[in-house]
Amino acid sequence: MAQVLDAYVNKSVNVVTADGRIIIGTLRGFDQAINIILDDSHERVFSSTDGVEQVLLGLYIIRGDNVALIGEIDEELDKTIDFSRIRADPLPVAKT
Amino acid sequence: MGDEGDQVATTTATSVEEPLDLVRLSLDEKVCVKMRNERELRGRLHAFDQHLNMILGDVEETITTIEIDEETFEQIYRPTKRQIPMLFVRGDGVILISPLSKQS
Amino acid sequence: MLFYSFFKSLVGKDVVIELKNDLSISGTLHSVDQYLNVKLTDVQVLDPEKYPHIQSVTSAFVRGSVIRYIQLPPDDVDTQLLQEATRKEITQPRKE
Repeated sequence: MAQVLDAYVNKSVNVVTADGRIIIGTLRGFDQAINIILDDSHERVFSSTDGVEQVLLGLYIIRGDNVALIGEIDEELDKTIDFSRIRADPLPVAKT
Repeated sequence: MGDEGDQVATTTATSVEEPLDLVRLSLDEKVCVKMRNERELRGRLHAFDQHLNMILGDVEETITTIEIDEETFEQIYRPTKRQIPMLFVRGDGVILISPLSKQS
Repeated sequence: MLFYSFFKSLVGKDVVIELKNDLSISGTLHSVDQYLNVKLTDVQVLDPEKYPHIQSVTSAFVRGSVIRYIQLPPDDVDTQLLQEATRKEITQPRKE
């Protein structure tokens, strides 16, 4: 029943993990359990004292249990954001 | 045959054999729901299922944060309240449900 | 199945999803599945200053298990119907 994710395949997505990390990548595939394959992925590390740090990750397979949210990125809008100027605490853990 | 079916339906609708039967008696009544992370909800119970997913109407949520006074080290409980007209509550965050008596 | 059916009846309406990581996002309910995973379009974060983490996201798939609350449009909720559906659902003999 996760076919709605079909719409995101081969698109740039923003994944929020259950432990509060932000991972950007191209969605290559997914299954019923929301296990997902992210290509060319990188993490955006937020900090209240420094700008956003981008950490290259490469090809990632994320287990569905650890996925909180998958967002479709507006790439044009994303390009206009100056991440070096953004200050924010990392997202908290999604406590069950 | 039809009468027998009705009989079963009425007994199951009024008898209390398990906890959820008690929750059913609170339908359309005001309830207090204690949630994880120091949250409490008061509102009218419109729907629920076996997971204790719920829909509450005219909800008041109270979140209690505990701060420690830097000088006296006393614990200060700071409740923040907000109103939500109609709210779906996911059951996995629910700790307990309690019926509220009419006057409160 | 009660809430699955209920949310299907709300497709197209505007809701606010509050996640267990304290992030609140508003959007239009696009679809829901049996696990109460939800897809929203026209996504907006409620406190973008504090939560710039997904600011370029336009539509999002939210895993049901990380949802704390969903704020509903009260005028689109038939409370009488819900109560009847609840009584029906709960008095059904439980399948083991």
